[in-house]
Amino acid sequence: MKNTLRQVFRPGKFLAGFIIFAFILLLTVLYPLFNPGDPLAMIGLNNFTKPGTYVSVYDSLNVNRTFVFKLPDAAEKRIGSKLFPEDRETIKDYLTRLGLPEDSIDIDDTHDLMALWWNNYDPANQIGKTIAERRAYTALDNKLAGIFVSEDLEVLQYDPGTDEYVRKKMVTENDYVNVGDVANTIWLPLGTDNFGADMLKKLVSAIGTSLLIGLIAGVVATMIGLLLGLLAGYLGGIADDVIMFFTNLFTVIPGFILLILISYSIDQSRRGATTVAIVIGLTSWVWTTRSVRAQVISLRNRDHVNLSKLSGHSLPRIVVGDILPYIASYVVMAFILQISSAILAEAGLSMLGLGPKTTDTATLGLVMEWSIMKSAAHISGAWWAYYPVIIVIALISFSLNLMNTGLDQIFNPQLRD
Amino acid sequence: MKGYRKYFTRKILWFLITLVSAVILNFILPRLMPGDPIASIVSKIGGAGSNNPAATQAMYEHYQNAFGLDKPVIQQFFIYVKNLLRGDFGLSFSRYPIPVSEVIGNALPWTIGLQFPAIIVGWFLGNILGALAAYIRKGFDKVLMPAMLFLGGVPAFGMAIILLVIFGIGLQWFPFQGGYPPGMIPHMSWKFFAGIISHYHLPFWSIVLISVGGQSLGMRSMSIYELNADYVKYSRYMGIKDRKIVGYVFRNAMLPQITGLALSIGTMISGAMVAEIVFSYPGLGTTLLQGIRENDYPLISASTFIITLMVLTTVFILDIIYGLIDPRIKASQYE
Amino acid sequence: MGKIMMEVNNLSTKYVTRFGEGVYAVNDVSFKVEEGRSLGIAGESGCGKSTLALSLMGYYFAPLHYIQGDILIDGQNISGRKPDDVRKNVLGTEIAYIPQAAMNALNPTRKIIRFIEDVVRAHNPKATKKDIYDLARERFEILNLEPQTLQKHAVELSGGMKQRTVIAVSTILSPKVLIADEPSSALDVTSQKMVIKMIHDLMELGYIKSMIFITHELPLLFNVTDDIMVMYAGQIVEKGSAEQMIFDPVHPYSKGLMGSILVPEGGTRDIKLTAIPGTPPNLKKPPEGCRFAARCKYVKPQCRMTAVSFEDLGNGRGSRCIVPETELREVYGHEQ
Repeated sequence: MKNTLRQVFRPGKFLAGFIIFAFILLLTVLYPLFNPGDPLAMIGLNNFTKPGTYVSVYDSLNVNRTFVFKLPDAAEKRIGSKLFPEDRETIKDYLTRLGLPEDSIDIDDTHDLMALWWNNYDPANQIGKTIAERRAYTALDNKLAGIFVSEDLEVLQYDPGTDEYVRKKMVTENDYVNVGDVANTIWLPLGTDNFGADMLKKLVSAIGTSLLIGLIAGVVATMIGLLLGLLAGYLGGIADDVIMFFTNLFTVIPGFILLILISYSIDQSRRGATTVAIVIGLTSWVWTTRSVRAQVISLRNRDHVNLSKLSGHSLPRIVVGDILPYIASYVVMAFILQISSAILAEAGLSMLGLGPKTTDTATLGLVMEWSIMKSAAHISGAWWAYYPVIIVIALISFSLNLMNTGLDQIFNPQLRD
Repeated sequence: MKGYRKYFTRKILWFLITLVSAVILNFILPRLMPGDPIASIVSKIGGAGSNNPAATQAMYEHYQNAFGLDKPVIQQFFIYVKNLLRGDFGLSFSRYPIPVSEVIGNALPWTIGLQFPAIIVGWFLGNILGALAAYIRKGFDKVLMPAMLFLGGVPAFGMAIILLVIFGIGLQWFPFQGGYPPGMIPHMSWKFFAGIISHYHLPFWSIVLISVGGQSLGMRSMSIYELNADYVKYSRYMGIKDRKIVGYVFRNAMLPQITGLALSIGTMISGAMVAEIVFSYPGLGTTLLQGIRENDYPLISASTFIITLMVLTTVFILDIIYGLIDPRIKASQYE
Repeated sequence: MGKIMMEVNNLSTKYVTRFGEGVYAVNDVSFKVEEGRSLGIAGESGCGKSTLALSLMGYYFAPLHYIQGDILIDGQNISGRKPDDVRKNVLGTEIAYIPQAAMNALNPTRKIIRFIEDVVRAHNPKATKKDIYDLARERFEILNLEPQTLQKHAVELSGGMKQRTVIAVSTILSPKVLIADEPSSALDVTSQKMVIKMIHDLMELGYIKSMIFITHELPLLFNVTDDIMVMYAGQIVEKGSAEQMIFDPVHPYSKGLMGSILVPEGGTRDIKLTAIPGTPPNLKKPPEGCRFAARCKYVKPQCRMTAVSFEDLGNGRGSRCIVPETELREVYGHEQ
């Protein structure tokens, strides 16, 4: 067993596929732990909000409805707002008395005005007629110096238990505040979808559901395929003929078409993720049947099987003990492919509007349907609403195919490098 | 020729059997719906029905006639087959009173014109890439194979969206909505033809790219298998040039790929249908979507039947071509 | 003594596995084959005889690699020449090969005559279709094949026909040396005999100048070849005339191989060799001393110490054993 495992993990392809798949799987398990909550919850942002970190504007006690974010010259604005017009006049007054030409002083240009003051003010140089005037200049100089000393600001957080705002943190009154220090922010790495739900959260939950659909469909298809393949291969004769007739038939009649027809005939309200998964499984067993049958036929007359037959072992015992262990690797390979094709089938089905019902779960296909078919995110440029989904579907499929190819190289030495 | 007769007879027989099975499935599936099929079909019309009570009534009567539910199942089946043979798929709910056959008839040429060339081009490109990967191995294979595996994993609609966003919206090289310039009425003229061509690019290349992924992988395995075959070694030791031997190998690997194409054509066409939808291409995929969205059961049923028919016919033609050009088939008939 | 058609001196080659390990399957092989004569090479499966067959062609491609040694055909050294030169001027015309798996040696989708054209034109690009057809037809007649066979694909031929077709293709350029690697192992006894007879006929007609025949069935060689070499773990352990080798083997390994075989008067019997206990050494790391030491009944401590060289015993015989011939014979005599 240990040896088999080592052999399986030896080729880089299997390992690479396994790592990618494990990463995706871990993401679906771990992400909700860090970011709990209903993935479909609308968090009140507009349709297709861009990725980024958002600060809640309703938090601010500022009643003025105009918010200006991202000021390019924040420092100037802050200082400017504290420098009142009479102060500016006083500065100008002082400077003209010093002998600077009056038209070179622009009292609206805070930056230049301040620079002129710092360069020319000299407490020793007593300009001014009265003591009161001189004191006024000294006071102004102190005030200007004080502008650059920052005070502390309180960050309050509403506590619903006590119905009070409690101090969460003190931040220095700066031009910029660390987002982490602000109370009510939300990080949306992938923005929001058309309903205003956190896209990443929804995507992670959709991956989980889609993997589950893949798993259920894979199990259903593999079970049917295995059973039919074993029967056809081991019994031969009429059983084989009948099973192979249907297998060949459903090889040429596209499973996706059957899937469409069956899904359509199930009412959308009753079309849960599990139902869709089972229907996908019911329409995709042919490949497993074929490969299992071929393997069983080559095993049927091997010595150890014959020996078992001669020893009077029962059919189930022969199948479980003498045949299954030999075809296990093929079944596992077929199962892996089933998972990836089921995920693709669900996505395609949902694109046509025949996916699981949309109210309780998100699947990769449903997310695509809403982004593309229902809201045309691709036309409006909301790349975060569809690129990540396409990439995730492709990555899941890619990782499973890589694992399958890796296994194929072990069990089909012809393909080895 | 004697060996072929058996092969062809078998293939024709099989084609007929699959065809009959498809007809039976198409007949049975709506009847398996729980409850009164006509009621459930007509009730699903929903919006269309309430807007047009006359249509709902006509529909109900039409279906009572068409399904003939009061008659025995066998008789129902014969009514169904008779209608089918006349190309009568009933009337479309969503475009009442246009017959479904007319809607399908308008869509079919677009789908055939788009999908078959694209799948064939994808097949050829995939085979060439797969063969090169198998022959060159080393770096080329190390890069190409994972790339193709990844490409094979991209869903058809995903590829369509990616191309649409990059080349349609971003670079604005090609139009990406519909099959011909909007506002133009289909007619024979160079201008219209040029419009078709420019609308053709994006859906065409997305189907090509999707087909390339899977086919190249199949060809790669097949070519590696053939490159290890005994005749390759023997030919080398007889002094035949490597380039000539590579020619043998590719031919031998490519022939079974025809069967590979026949086996995967159903999946490929299904995928291509969804790709069509992304571009609102006026083909069967879009028609099918319209049927589903508007609960137009006759349209859905007819679309799926025609798609199945397309797949069955393609498989049959590929089988025949394969039988004709691969001597291994001819030889196996002597047994 | 006839003209020497093939002379091989100290040839060593190796296989490189996909993990980059070398398998030293042919080690220090030397022999000569005269015109009109045939040499048999026998040994258990995995002893390197098939690798030797390919190594003798002088045309190496992965996973087979040349290490050292010379191959002279009709006095001309073919080792160390450029691969394309060997391909064009040596393969097929100087030395040709009948593969072990003759059943799969022909491209299944190419007509036989097209393949023969490819072979001939690889060496003589100017050959006309008609000339090639006439040549092929003539050879096919000798091999009892109908001319229509030329127009068929390999898949349409029966096993025996494929076998003969491969012989015809291999000898179409009248090679000086023909290497046949178990050409008959997949056939029934009568077909085997027929194949061997045909190769002999071709040699008598002068289409082949000499032959090397490789098999794991020793009794077959007695009737087929003039001389026999026995191979073990990549080395030649003994050589001599067919009669000497069958009735009077010297090397303990040859003795072990022959000991179990009843040799009736001239007839070829299909008798399986009884296994010598133990398994051949791993050729990735061959033992330093005698390679047979681990399985030898007569092993002595010094056998495991140093490599054993191939000693000429005179009279065309040679053996790779440090125990003197006389001593061995004495032990053999006691056993009987």
